[in-house]
Amino acid sequence: MASKILPAKESRSIGRSFVLTIPIAIWSALMFTAYAHANRSQWIASLITVVFEVVLFFMMVWTRSTYRWRRRFFVALGLLFPVGFIHEVISMRGTMGIPIEEMIAGRTPFCFLPIPLLILPAALTKMLVFPGSILPNGGMSGGGMAAMAGIWLAVTIVVGKGWCSYACFFGGIEEGVASVPPRARVRKIDPRWRYGPWAVFLAMVLLSLALFEPAYCMWLCPFKAVSEYVAARNTVGVVQNGIFIVLFAGLVIALPLLTKKRTQCAFFCPFGAFQSIFNKTSVFDVRIDKSRCTPCVLCQKSCPTMSLTDESIANGKTLMSCMKCGACVDACPRDAAVWHIRGTEVSFKPERARLMFLYAAWAMAIMFGGGIIAEGLATMLHIFV
Amino acid sequence: MFGRLATNSDAKLVNMASAFALAEALALGLMSGPACVASCGPVVVPTLLAEHSGLRLHGRYLSTFLATRLCGYLLFAALAWEFGNLATLPTSARSLVFGPIHLLLAGALLRYAYSVGRTCDHSCKSAELVTIGAAGNHRIPGAAALGFLTGVSLCPPFVAAGVRAAEATSMVAAVLFFAAFFLGTSIWFVPFAALGWVRRNEAVITVARMAMVLIALYYFYAGLTILIRKNTYGF
Amino acid sequence: MRLSANLGYLGAGLTIFVAALAPFSLYGLFTKGFSSLGLRVSETYSGGPKVRTIQAVGYTIDIHRPVSPRILQREKPFVQVDWKPANALPVHVSDLVDIDGDGKPDVHVDFNVPKDPKASLRVNVVSLNPIYEEMRNVGKEKFSALIVRVDNGILVRVPLAP
Repeated sequence: MASKILPAKESRSIGRSFVLTIPIAIWSALMFTAYAHANRSQWIASLITVVFEVVLFFMMVWTRSTYRWRRRFFVALGLLFPVGFIHEVISMRGTMGIPIEEMIAGRTPFCFLPIPLLILPAALTKMLVFPGSILPNGGMSGGGMAAMAGIWLAVTIVVGKGWCSYACFFGGIEEGVASVPPRARVRKIDPRWRYGPWAVFLAMVLLSLALFEPAYCMWLCPFKAVSEYVAARNTVGVVQNGIFIVLFAGLVIALPLLTKKRTQCAFFCPFGAFQSIFNKTSVFDVRIDKSRCTPCVLCQKSCPTMSLTDESIANGKTLMSCMKCGACVDACPRDAAVWHIRGTEVSFKPERARLMFLYAAWAMAIMFGGGIIAEGLATMLHIFV
Repeated sequence: MFGRLATNSDAKLVNMASAFALAEALALGLMSGPACVASCGPVVVPTLLAEHSGLRLHGRYLSTFLATRLCGYLLFAALAWEFGNLATLPTSARSLVFGPIHLLLAGALLRYAYSVGRTCDHSCKSAELVTIGAAGNHRIPGAAALGFLTGVSLCPPFVAAGVRAAEATSMVAAVLFFAAFFLGTSIWFVPFAALGWVRRNEAVITVARMAMVLIALYYFYAGLTILIRKNTYGF
Repeated sequence: MRLSANLGYLGAGLTIFVAALAPFSLYGLFTKGFSSLGLRVSETYSGGPKVRTIQAVGYTIDIHRPVSPRILQREKPFVQVDWKPANALPVHVSDLVDIDGDGKPDVHVDFNVPKDPKASLRVNVVSLNPIYEEMRNVGKEKFSALIVRVDNGILVRVPLAP
């Protein structure tokens, strides 16, 4: 993993870094007005969040490295989302389990994971096979399905599969877990496991159309362990809920600890497979400058999702599963792995490409993830303030 | 003369009624086709993707699948006429019929996924369908087993056709009704042959095999809960 | 610089512009666009649109359009009937309901209305029309056969015979 990267590249001057951070600082201040409410703990939490975001961006600019600073934001997002969400669910319903009444009332909160499963049934029947509401409907319906779809589209247009590194409020959990052990206990992973997300995607799309329900949410989503799940009424329900607990324990905790990889994202998540398609439309990507590459395969070893293979390195590219996390770029000792803008030559001003990408991605991260972090912090502060 | 006239008129009415019933069956099949395709999709799509590429081979897969699916349909048509509306069968009887069907479907999919791995890899030229067993000297194509099992599985359009078939005046009429219904639904399967144009490589075959295993797990679980007469969902 | 490089930078610039625009107008535009697609939540969850209201003494009975199952759904076809407002209902409700509007009662529904809104409910439905299935002491078994309290209404879903 990139936590074992080689010494950082030569830093930029502090003054110049400060100037380059100003747009993000202004943006954060604007978003602060969206996070902060009259409540004192929310005000303090929002301030902490804004400072956190700006400092991290400054560090990314100053040190010319991305991964370790982005990871701090992403892990904070992954840890604080459940805090705020579970607190809200229990305040409103008294339980993490969704009762059937809430589903009938259309007050199931909609997360982005079922988006690819809803497309075919909606296209064929104009019906959304999710027990939520299209517009806000009180309770836990939040902004409604239209709001999440809007956010998803906006962020995807900007960063493609960078969603998985800057916006997903679940991925930070396993990224944090994967960073804990000093070294991987399991180093050899069959590369065919990389096809897992596509298999889950295919199976879940077909089953969702056949059963007319969000099959992944009903059967396989491991993150129900840290958000909410359909309330079990009998033994069969308990068994079904047991499935996601086992998946969470395995894919999100145990395997990342053993492999130091984001195993749920790399080998299972169907939304990730779906987002990979948008890597083809994204302007930004990561390339390998073959003239500089030795190859030492440090980039391959550092990639949390195994998105670099010998063949792809020889072709000068990452696989379409690349999440644009920056681990490979920061790990490369010869500056062969570089940020890149489509159409330009590889290694032509890669730092400019990186900064342009970071402005776009960080703006999205602040808009979406920043609010979630602030909410989680506010929940924790509320106990003490 | 009057008797002969009456017989001729009656025969004409019977013919018209039969033609009308068949047309109704065909129309019902055409309307239900998308639902049938959606319900068979989890079985057909991954198994087609696991086969070698080629329009001709895929045409053979679909023909085999549909032919054995027709056998399943006709078997049910005969049973529907014999025993009346299957949907009114007692729960215990239904669970003993449909539970094992789901379990067999799961088994067939798992066997299929295993058999794909044992045939020559995607790069070798092979014009044969994946086989999942043998009966004597004959290898059983996976498409045949899956077609029959999906044919005897109860899905809502099938139930609607079953209700109508149970009202037929004879078993032959019931069977003909189901055959016409089957024809209507089968037209919707033809576009699946286009999957023969998808280039096969390790990624496609591995994805197809893994998807088959996942779908098999669902059918296994569903079959088990039907057999023990519990709701598939415990919510 | 080559044309492709210029286009690349243009694309990158536009991406940053889109990111800046997202919370102010773009996100709202996408949200409105999505909600104007004419999509509806699956009727298995929503219960279908209301088609008729029967006036009873002190409360109303809303009849919804029957909902048909889709594809492999394990749910039966059903019709949802709502009693509103729940806080105006008598302790015991026993009503003959004409669901199809032909002037003849189709089902007899009876259930108790506990004071505690979180208490579980049970319903008995006697079928007077073979289209509708009987229910005995049913709680919330499945989406197509249940009784639940949602907001200030009590919803009963009666399955239809196949």
